Amino acid sequence: MSGAKENVEPASLDPAAKAELDRAFEELYRDHLKDVYSYAYYRVGNQHDAEDLTEQAFLQAYRHFDRARRESDGRPLRPWLIRIAHNLALNYYRDRSRRPQTPLEQADPIPARHGTEAIAEGREELRQVIAKLDDLPDDRRDALIMRFALGMDNREIARALGRSDGATKVLIHRAIKQLEEAMSDE
Amino acid sequence: MSDASEKLTGSTWDVERLLGDALRPMEPPERLSGRFEDTLSAVTQAAAEELSDWAEELSESELRALRDPRNWVRPVVAVSAGGIATGALLVLELRRRGRQQTKGRLGSAVERVGLR
Repeated sequence: MSGAKENVEPASLDPAAKAELDRAFEELYRDHLKDVYSYAYYRVGNQHDAEDLTEQAFLQAYRHFDRARRESDGRPLRPWLIRIAHNLALNYYRDRSRRPQTPLEQADPIPARHGTEAIAEGREELRQVIAKLDDLPDDRRDALIMRFALGMDNREIARALGRSDGATKVLIHRAIKQLEEAMSDE
Repeated sequence: MSDASEKLTGSTWDVERLLGDALRPMEPPERLSGRFEDTLSAVTQAAAEELSDWAEELSESELRALRDPRNWVRPVVAVSAGGIATGALLVLELRRRGRQQTKGRLGSAVERVGLR
């Protein structure tokens, strides 16, 4: 991931407004770092690229934060943040013309989160579901990551993906159905 | 896979439960926050410097432009064009008034000879 050093819009604000904006951004960063990182991690499949993606997402967010706050009308900014990460992830694959370097099933979260003992005790199905998730079309996979890793509801996912609530509900339903079928085919 | 298959209830997996277990939120590494703060402060610093350089360059170039006689042509052309347009409007207005006066005079003459 390229670490492009872009100009950031808030530098042009007066000092008091910038200080207030920075405080608000710090809060946003604190509240949603885990969300953005989790999304990035499950999206790109490895820690290194997930860190880069997270950093780039927050830099872009900072650049447009003032405007986003004004236009959000008090609505939560998490879908906007995840949408930035989502678009960056799309570019990331476009730039490198490839799927994740480390397939999700080989990534370290499962051992790290569940421990090797748990896996040895029959948690193989977790690996399997992650592997099948990786085979889903991008939009379905993204919706499931947002739902299960980030706990986003349909409306938030809809805003993050730029779809209607109804279309998002259908997308998630179909994603789960496809995953069930893929698991049953094993 | 045999262990997993044994956990099947009918032909359906409890995919939502599995997803909930598999996709736990990830804790970001601690170094990420420090790294982001460093990058952000470097970027904002660079942006601020660039902005002040740009402002200085702009005011200098504006002053130079004002001193350059080649840039005086445009205002002179604009003033001349404005003058011509004003003159044309005046001519049109005088003609209009002339026509109205003629018409007024004709009307009075018609009335006077009793043609109305």
